[in-house]
Amino acid sequence: MGNVRRKLLHETLKGYVLYAIAIVLLSTPFFYLVIQKLHLDDVDETLLLRTKEFKKYTIPDLQTSEIDQWNRFNRDMKIVKSDRLILRDSLSFQFIYDTLANELEPYRILTSPVTVEGKPFVVSTKVDLIESEDLVLSLALLYSGLLLLLLTGLFFITQYYSKRLWQPFYRTLYAVEQFEIDKTQVPELTSTAIEEFYRLNQVVRGLVSRSRLAFLNQQEFIENAAHELQTPLAIFQSKLDNFLQHPDLTASQLQALGPLYDLLARLNRMNKNLLVLSKIDHQSYDAIEPVDLAALLKKSVDFFEDQAVEKGIFLETRFIEVTWVNANIALIEILISNLLMNAIAHNRPNGSIEISLNNSELIFRNTGISTAISDDKLFQRFAKTDSTSKGNGLGLSIVKRIADLYGWQILYEFENGFHTFAIKISTQVSPQ
Amino acid sequence: MKLLLIEDEADLATEIKNYLISNDVSCEWACDVESALEKLDLFEYDCVLLDLSLPDGTGMFVLEHLKKLARPEGVIITSAKDSLESRLKGLQLGADDYLIKPFHLAELLARTQALFRRKHFLGSNIMALHEIEVDLMAKSVSVSGQQIDVTKKEFELLLYLVANKNRILSKSSLAEHLSGDMAYMLDNHDFVYTHIKNLKRKLIQAGANDYIKTVYGLGYQWVM
Repeated sequence: MGNVRRKLLHETLKGYVLYAIAIVLLSTPFFYLVIQKLHLDDVDETLLLRTKEFKKYTIPDLQTSEIDQWNRFNRDMKIVKSDRLILRDSLSFQFIYDTLANELEPYRILTSPVTVEGKPFVVSTKVDLIESEDLVLSLALLYSGLLLLLLTGLFFITQYYSKRLWQPFYRTLYAVEQFEIDKTQVPELTSTAIEEFYRLNQVVRGLVSRSRLAFLNQQEFIENAAHELQTPLAIFQSKLDNFLQHPDLTASQLQALGPLYDLLARLNRMNKNLLVLSKIDHQSYDAIEPVDLAALLKKSVDFFEDQAVEKGIFLETRFIEVTWVNANIALIEILISNLLMNAIAHNRPNGSIEISLNNSELIFRNTGISTAISDDKLFQRFAKTDSTSKGNGLGLSIVKRIADLYGWQILYEFENGFHTFAIKISTQVSPQ
Repeated sequence: MKLLLIEDEADLATEIKNYLISNDVSCEWACDVESALEKLDLFEYDCVLLDLSLPDGTGMFVLEHLKKLARPEGVIITSAKDSLESRLKGLQLGADDYLIKPFHLAELLARTQALFRRKHFLGSNIMALHEIEVDLMAKSVSVSGQQIDVTKKEFELLLYLVANKNRILSKSSLAEHLSGDMAYMLDNHDFVYTHIKNLKRKLIQAGANDYIKTVYGLGYQWVM
């Protein structure tokens, strides 16, 4: 779970959202209780005032015979005989059955001792709490509603501003993501007024232009080195060709010269491969035309058949489907030849090769060493899987380079003793 | 055959000259555009070997000059530049062949001879080598009048060996001749052995002498 990537904005807002939810959840009951308490205080005060007024203005003139009459017309204030001695006023909650609503309703009741014509009575004054309960609830809801509205508003405002604030960062990120060292120019990074982003852009700009410069230098170096090597190689080869014709050479001397030719061929091959790589980098192969893959495949197979036969390798092509791609024909030839050459060179004697081309997938399967090749070495320049190989470790890196150029994916797999290279061709076209 | 070699690398020019001269090709050397044009003004050649990058200009200029004057010389461009554009441009300007450096001297000689044959077509395209006759048009071989069945590669090998007769040819030179532009892809030249073996067997079975001599560990030689 440690690898789950989270968005910057989500992280920024997460704390905020948690805080807002906690505030709303906790404050709503608290608010409810406070309002209720305030309201109850108010009710109690009303009851006390009413009783006080009653005691002051009504009780002195009241006669015992009038009590029943009073009680008949007053629902909320009753005068009853005191059974036991009540000395002080007392407030209490009581549920009283309401015949109209047919349910028990909560009341706040104040009982207070009075004396009517010298006899002790109790005045009980009550206030129905049911309506005020509703009011309190409505108030609490209104409050939390407002709070919710406020927090939601703040959430969106924060989100909006965070987004705007981070925009230069996202633009830089996008520019760097789009940057391809071999294709695109150094990306334009938009200026920003924020100090940190300004610094970030400065650093990114510096890094990008330095690596681009290093890349260009390396490209130029490869090209120059390969070109400069051609002349001495040509001279070396022709001197050797002439030397062979020397009449005084003995058979064993001639035999000793043999390996020199193999070495020369290796040098030439490496040089040509380096030139191919540098020419791809220099967009020398940018002439694009519809290319018949099946036809090129056949041509390549015909050409390399001798090589396979020499090693006793069984070469089989199947499911070859006519497939046209928009590409540079020379590059596709190089791609196919290198894949095939790779399948032959790293095969074992009397091994086999299977080539197929269907569903826009070009697949080379070959027997060879009995372990998988590590992915990081596979397409690396000059990386070799075995020291005895005469390959220069450039073939597959050329394949990769060409596939990359056209945005095709290469998959490598080792299964049941077969090394499989599959190229997913994505720029298929219909023949013209 | 008279040939003009235009090449700025003195070492390479010397080697080419030596090889061609020992194969009865008379060879003159010019090291830049100016001296090349001078020589071309004075003499007529059968063939011009033309390097493209010269100290005082491009070989294409020489080619244009020859074309303008409708000169009869056959031209083989020898260049380190292996690009389709320069190859097409060269051929459009009237070059007959394009050879990429580095090349084997045997290859150069074979191409020069092929060019010479094309230019001096003498009504017959039959090459006679004692009892062996090679029909260059029909690409067929016969021994003492009896046609033998050779593959395309065996035919090409025979021509190449014969073009460089009595010269020792390295296995890689033969392999690269058979493979053309793709030659550099190969990391193993042993397949030549099979083709040579088959060619040799076919010739001997048809009653020809064994002219193909194996130079152990190095290559082959047509001895005649």
